[in-house]
Amino acid sequence: VSAADDLTELYRERIWRELQQVARPDSRFHWDFSRFIADFEGSDLCAQRVLALAALRDLGDSRIFVTPDNCLEPLRAELIRRGQPFVMSTYGIVRGFLALDPADVPAGEARYAATLDGFDRYARPVLLAELARGRPFGLLVTGGSAVSRNGVRFGKGHGYFDFEFAVLSELGLVTDTAVVVDVVHDCQYVDDDLAAEAHDVPVDLVVTPTRTLRVEGPPRAPGRVHWELLPGTEFDDLEIVAELRSLDRPSTPTI
Amino acid sequence: VLVPPPSYPAPLYDRVRRELERTILALPLVDASPIPPEPKLMEQFGVSRGTVRRAIAELADDGLLRVEQGRGTYVNHDERIRRVVRERLAAVALPDSRFDLDLKQFVPDFAGRAAAEARVTELPAWRDARTVFLAPDNSLEQLRLQALEAGKKLLVPTYGMRRDFVLLDGAGIAANDRPLAATLDGMERFGRRIDATTVASVDRVDVFATGATAVTTDGRHIGSGWRFLALEWFLLEQEGIVDDAVPVVAVVHDCQVIDEPVQADPDCIVDLIATPTRLIPCSPPTP
Repeated sequence: VSAADDLTELYRERIWRELQQVARPDSRFHWDFSRFIADFEGSDLCAQRVLALAALRDLGDSRIFVTPDNCLEPLRAELIRRGQPFVMSTYGIVRGFLALDPADVPAGEARYAATLDGFDRYARPVLLAELARGRPFGLLVTGGSAVSRNGVRFGKGHGYFDFEFAVLSELGLVTDTAVVVDVVHDCQYVDDDLAAEAHDVPVDLVVTPTRTLRVEGPPRAPGRVHWELLPGTEFDDLEIVAELRSLDRPSTPTI
Repeated sequence: VLVPPPSYPAPLYDRVRRELERTILALPLVDASPIPPEPKLMEQFGVSRGTVRRAIAELADDGLLRVEQGRGTYVNHDERIRRVVRERLAAVALPDSRFDLDLKQFVPDFAGRAAAEARVTELPAWRDARTVFLAPDNSLEQLRLQALEAGKKLLVPTYGMRRDFVLLDGAGIAANDRPLAATLDGMERFGRRIDATTVASVDRVDVFATGATAVTTDGRHIGSGWRFLALEWFLLEQEGIVDDAVPVVAVVHDCQVIDEPVQADPDCIVDLIATPTRLIPCSPPTP
């Protein structure tokens, strides 16, 4: 365990204590923050801030990717109300990715469809092959346990979003201009620079209920799956990993 | 460059554990004999005593076996039934939004559930019911929705009783909010929290319906192993919200119904079993 890991753990523990004051429990995981990204007071304000981003206004025909974090529920509901389709990963990526077309959601049920229980009802599974045939993702939105001044985010400690980003990158679905947004409560923002690991995806914007912060930093390196790190992890057994291995595609350039 | 993962051979004790589990699950559900003694198993699997002991210890740790010092090692009936039924259920179960198909964590919705549900809603007791208890099982989500749509009051425990009970009033929830109010994700936004200090304010329940991991035709409800239903029944019975006269209905797939006279320790006693194909009145359990 490195010193950087210790520091991350320290922040995570401290922030989880503060988060408990403003967060909402999960329907299954109660207050166990190691198992879900919590919703919090003001997440609806975060949704409004994300909707006002230039990255969303200028999306063109690029797509939106959202993680299944509870704090993104108001954003998902608002996207559905606006008729904006998006792609979401399933919890733990166990069932891969789901795509939602708001046209499939009955009027008045946006809020229901935005929950994980409701999303399963109206979204449909998409294989990587189908995703890869579509437009790239111009906006990727995730939550997290905490995020630092230099855009290093940490989640529940599993690295799901980093892995999703890596998989989408391998499929050529993340362009250089794609914008990565982290939605957190103000208490989850760490006003300090933290060291990133090779597989960490630095974020471009941090959105809290009170602020929208642009992260200054060097351009993000292209994402890739770190195959050497997979064996023995929960990712190794994922169906999308088997599918990614089987896909016939040009190998990623080595730099 | 894609690197295929190295394969990790399972340790020997783990292979013995799995083989032993397979043998136990293949026995008749009523079989109550101890498993063969260590020397027999050492010979059968061609492994050392230490390996056999490790395999047995693992199976005892996760509840399938019970080691009785000086007597022998026995199978836990409830746990065997759970595992046998979960294997059957895998073919018809629908995934949970968090737990996927990890059936140890939740009671799943299943193919054909709507037909089982209709057998409940056709019951005179359901039609006349003003207040119903419905378990937080995924297989009951649509029944919870029907209760709300019928304007009934609905008492639901939170998952794992982590935040006690929720009381919803179908008549007070807008029509397009009801699908959300029927889910675990949504119910707490529309209902009132009921805990041990306020449970006495709830009206007596007219129908008590639950899913199950398994249920026997002599009325034994076998839950996921945490005995939440037994706790819920106890808390409600204390305050007179439920009693022995309340009809208890289990909504399950046919593959969850056990007809053999097993010696399972039930979470509660069921009067009726509704499956996609049948409505089964339970014979009272023989002690």
